[in-house]
Amino acid sequence: MIDLKNLVKSRFIFVLPALIFLGIFILIPIISIFAMSFYSWDLLRPPKFIGWNNFKLMIGDKWFWNSIWVSIKLLILTVPMTFFVPLALALALYKETGSSKILRALFYWPYMMPAVAGTTMWKWLLSYDLGLLNYFLKSLGLSPVGWLLKPTPALFSIALLRTWAMTGLLMMMFITGLQNISEEYHEAAKIDGANKWQIFWYVTFPLLKNTNLLVLTTAIAHVFRDFAGIYVLTGGGPGYSTMVTPLYIYNSAFTQFRIGYAYAMSVVFLLISFVIAVMTLRVRETK
Amino acid sequence: MTKIVKWIFLIVALVFYMLPVYYSIASSFKSLQEVYNYPPTVFPSSPTLQGYREAIKNQDLLTYLKNTLFVSLVATIITVLICVMAGYGLAKGTFLGKLALNRLVVMTLFISAQVIMVPLFVIIKRLGLINNLWGLILPAVYTPTGMFTAIQYMKDIPDEMLESAKIDGANEWQIFWKIVMPLSQPLVAALAIFSFTWRWNDFVLPLLVVNKRSLYTLQLALAVIQGEYGGVPWNTILAFSTLTIIPTLIIFLLFQRFFMRGIMAGGLKY
Repeated sequence: MIDLKNLVKSRFIFVLPALIFLGIFILIPIISIFAMSFYSWDLLRPPKFIGWNNFKLMIGDKWFWNSIWVSIKLLILTVPMTFFVPLALALALYKETGSSKILRALFYWPYMMPAVAGTTMWKWLLSYDLGLLNYFLKSLGLSPVGWLLKPTPALFSIALLRTWAMTGLLMMMFITGLQNISEEYHEAAKIDGANKWQIFWYVTFPLLKNTNLLVLTTAIAHVFRDFAGIYVLTGGGPGYSTMVTPLYIYNSAFTQFRIGYAYAMSVVFLLISFVIAVMTLRVRETK
Repeated sequence: MTKIVKWIFLIVALVFYMLPVYYSIASSFKSLQEVYNYPPTVFPSSPTLQGYREAIKNQDLLTYLKNTLFVSLVATIITVLICVMAGYGLAKGTFLGKLALNRLVVMTLFISAQVIMVPLFVIIKRLGLINNLWGLILPAVYTPTGMFTAIQYMKDIPDEMLESAKIDGANEWQIFWKIVMPLSQPLVAALAIFSFTWRWNDFVLPLLVVNKRSLYTLQLALAVIQGEYGGVPWNTILAFSTLTIIPTLIIFLLFQRFFMRGIMAGGLKY
């Protein structure tokens, strides 16, 4: 028998509603990813057990490997920008002044905006025949770029958009890190005759070690997870050139109705996310 | 010298970060002819509300607004309630498995919607919530970040306060409503602001759950009309997206402190 009195007294009852939602909408989905990845299923007929076949299929599926390769390329393009741009902004804005507060808010706003709306605005800027960007290029005497029409520029556009959207968050992380560094270190270095650049490289930057790791892991996690941005900007195209794993899983499930196969790919994607999560946790715990 | 370099850098950055926003808002006030004019104009030459009228009339913006507001508001109320309750239970409870549940909450911080997209769709379908606005609300009310913030907040409420209320004869519900809730106002405000913004901005869940036009949310509609056959004119699309970012700006300006504190707490104190 469930002892209601005890549930109330131990305060377990307060956790119960959240636990029900957690169970139905997070735990069951995660368990079913593993369970259903061994089935072939099109949503219409009942699922059929096929053992490891989905995984064997995945190993031979060049578009699946391509989707992971696309993410890696995006990481290589995005991570340096999402590290140095926010760091530079944070260095310029970490002191509490009226103007720095307003500027911080402006740089943060893109992160708060709906991803679909922000991406739509970029799409307008990047459009081939009407876009402002190509107009600038043409007025400089350069030829217009098919930003979203060719594989490499499309990848670059996504990296640019990601940087634009994430800078605010990462800048705030750096600002917090900088504000936690005691002024005494800088004073001491100044007395020893270090110039500003030396102070930054030999004093500030090493002291930011934990913040740096946090920013890096956050940036990596966000690039790996982006769905709405890529869905709206390129839809995975041209061809499969920007088809990241979440988008490929979505297409397999909802346009090709290969549900079981989508589950199997979700297992792999979950494991990748898990590795990133463990990295992030490690970083947080070293403090 | 360094000051000048700093300001030049800031101005260049500001142009880069605000250009898409400015140019889109400006273009949303252009007439259909002007938006397709070449060379593009930086200021609308004769500002018009044509795009906005089009978005409201032909694109049913008001229906989507109504749906989005309903989902965002109801989801926020439920989220705040279950988070505050669970935060209290997980911080101040004395039941078996409390530690394990606390760990579980931390684990869920790293599960993104994209990973469980397909099974989530199947469950929502089983529950009969496809093409139902509740299908956008119920799967979203457990938010890992919100739960985590609530637990951290509740840990700071002194045990003595709860003990003395108990000695005065208050039962658990009275303690929760008369002591914990009033003490949690800053937490409630923060959870409400974050939850509303997340739901307002959400795209993945509406994409999975809704395929009936009359149930679209703003973000889903904005994404769908861009791919539509025949093409919706750009001034309408941009008017649409301008309208959907205004609430985020207002919320942000009003509650800036919460966001900043949220990042400080969320970003560095997990």
